[in-house]
Order: sequence, then C-alpha cells, then structure tokens
Amino acid sequence: MPPPASDAAALPHPELVAAIPRLRRYARVLTGDASRADDLVQDALARAWEKRALWREGTDLRAWLFTIMHNVHVNQLALARREAGNVSLDAEGEFGAAWQVPVRGNQLDRVELLEVVAQMGRLPAEQREVLLLAAVEELRYEEIATVLGIPVGTVMSRLSRARDRLRRMATEPPVPLKVVK
Amino acid sequence: MNPSALSDVDLNAYADRQLAPERAGEVEAALAADPALAARVAGIRAQSAALRDALDPMLAEPIPPWLLAAATPPSTRAATAALAPRWRWPALAAAATLVLGVAVGWFGRDAMIERAGTPTTFARQAAFAHALYAVDARRPVEVWAAEEKGLVTWLTKRLGVPVTAPDLNGVGYALVGGRLVAGNEKPTALIMYENADKQRLTLQVRKEAPDAGETAFHYAVENGVGVFYWIDDSCGYALSGNIDRAQLLAVARVVYGQLAARGAR
Repeated sequence: MPPPASDAAALPHPELVAAIPRLRRYARVLTGDASRADDLVQDALARAWEKRALWREGTDLRAWLFTIMHNVHVNQLALARREAGNVSLDAEGEFGAAWQVPVRGNQLDRVELLEVVAQMGRLPAEQREVLLLAAVEELRYEEIATVLGIPVGTVMSRLSRARDRLRRMATEPPVPLKVVK
Repeated sequence: MNPSALSDVDLNAYADRQLAPERAGEVEAALAADPALAARVAGIRAQSAALRDALDPMLAEPIPPWLLAAATPPSTRAATAALAPRWRWPALAAAATLVLGVAVGWFGRDAMIERAGTPTTFARQAAFAHALYAVDARRPVEVWAAEEKGLVTWLTKRLGVPVTAPDLNGVGYALVGGRLVAGNEKPTALIMYENADKQRLTLQVRKEAPDAGETAFHYAVENGVGVFYWIDDSCGYALSGNIDRAQLLAVARVVYGQLAARGAR
C-alpha cells in the first residue's frame, strides 16, 4: 500500500485555550451581552497574537490577556464615542437595559444567585470590572492596577464602592430579573 | 490600634487576604473587639462567594469553534474560520489553499512539535474502522448515546486512560454512541457522531507511550476517508470522516480544544 498523503496543521495554543473561558466571563461582565462578549474575546485574541512579542515569559498569561482585552474594549468604546469625547468606562447604566449575563441550567432555582448577578449589572462598568477581577478572579490589587492601567489606590476605592453599592442593593426591593436560558 | 483608623479599604483588603501580615494582625485585633466590624468582613466574603457561585458555571461552557480558531497561530487559521458566524462559507475556497507547514511556537514554548515516528498505522486503522462502522445504518455502535455515561466509563476502563465524548453539537454533530475496536496491539475506543444530513464522523482514541509527547495535526486520506490524527497527553486521537479536509480540520480543532480545556481544569 502506498504511504498515505500526509501533512500537518497547527493546533490551537493550549494555554490560550485554557484562558478563553475566563476571558469570555470577563468580557460578559464588561459588555453584559454574550455575543458582544465573544466578539470582544476574538478581537482580544487577535491582538494578543499581534503583540505576543511583548509578553514577558514567566508572568501570568491570564492577567496579560485581561490587560489586552480591557484595552481593546476601551478603544472600541472610544471609537464609538468619539463625538462625545468620553472614553472612560464610568458611564452608568450604559449596558443596563441589555445586561444579560446568564446563570444557567441547574442554577435557575437559585434566586439569590440571579439576584446578585442582576445587581452587579446595575453597577457602573468600571466597578463591575474591579469586582470581577478582585472578588471572582482573586487577582492581587497590584495586578488589577496593571490590567486596568490605574493606580492601586483607585482599584481599592472602586472596589470598596462597588461592594458597598451591591450590599445596599441587596436590602432594596428587587428589580425584575432578566434570565437568559 | 485605634479602630477609627480602620477604613473600608482596610476591611476590603483584609477580606481579600491582601494585607501585609502585620497590618492584617492589627485588623484582626480590631475585629475581635468589634462584632459589627467582624460582620462587615463576613458580609464582604459572603458577597464574593455568591459572585463566584453565580459566575463560575460560565467557565464550564463549551468554547465556540471561532474562538478556538482565534487561539490558533494566525498563519494556519483559514480552515476553522469557515465555521465562524462572522464569516461565510466561501472562506472554504481559501481553506483549500491552506498553507501547510511547521507550526509556530508561541511565547517561546514550542507546544506543537512535529516528531518522527508518527503513527501512520493508527490513521490507517482508524480509516478502516470508520469505513466499516460508519456505513452501518442499524448497528454502527455497541453503546448508544443515551448511555453516554456508561459508554465513557467502559471505554476508560478498557483503554486505561480517561476517555470522554467531546460535545460537537456546536459544529452540528450529535453523539451517536461508541464501541471498542481491536487495534494493532492495544484496544481503541471509537466514538461516533452524526449531523443532520446523516454524515458520520468517528473519533478514535488509544493510549500511547507516556513519552509520546505531543504532535501537530496530521492529515491522511485512506480509501476516500479523511483522517486527522494527533497525539496529546499520552493519547493518540484520530478523527475520520468523508467530509472535506477543511471541515474535518475545523471539527478536529473543536475536539482538541475541548480536550485541552478539560486538561486545564
């Protein structure tokens, strides 16, 4: 039998693949929308390939990718808002109406989880972001400061405000929940 | 210390375990003296735990194929791009001229080394088994998808390595079931999928030597059956089908991505 026709093609990079779920989660918390989030992750991965020479070996790839994605997002917002000249993330309620970070499957019965996610959606994006990175991803404050390009003190004060608002919301009457199946 | 010197920022940093030890000790002393402060810290931690509980399940969601493509070195990406919702099928024409070659390492780590001694016989066996079972309308598998859990337990036991059935619904292929097939020296697990047009794919898995390393995807055609095969984590994988190379490669990447994501957790 003649030898089979054979050739090779590249695999997805395993460390990048491993980071994708966390990037998607961060992107959803940023954009509040699953398909926009995946577009953002795709753009961030493309940017990561372009900038791969700038990654320093031995540093946390996840934090580096978060940094890139944050910057891609801010740049996209800046483009969208060029007229207004407002490039910060702090506009409140920007995605409020569209906020649909899904809580899936067997969790649908856990009302308090739906509530905490819905409440998170009512925070300004800059507070959601800090809250995700500190409370969920459990990054060091210094790392968060690098990801967001802000001083550590600002990270800590934003985090404190985010938690405070979330705590106060928990005692307010609940808003209607938006569940995405 | 004076409790009034304790700020919200201190309490947050303490709750996140990010205070330097000596400062953490001071906060601890203050908390012991003031139950209200201790309750604040407990509240912060409970809130963080609730957020993690709510958001962690997202990490288990299957990764869509276009994002796996975005994690692939750009020069070799044409084939998978065809599955992305942002692009259209004509991209497959471009995939036909896919540039082949040595995979590009990333971050100085060459994860895609092509090695000598590639098991071409595995590809050949995989193609034969595919040709034999995929055409069988009534008994293509021994264990049907309804008993997926039993199937993977059985195959895992017989192969001596963890076998899972990747979820290919995202690329239009539903699990049919699986069977054990005889290999050269060792048993091979065969897992079959089918799309809406009754087109079938088989994924075959066998245990490799522990030092087998990792290879790039290789492609072979045997009697009209296309096979992508690769080695990863001491297992050999072969994905076979009578579909075109670019589509098969796209599915192979999804399979690989799911296995890699599983290994990373």
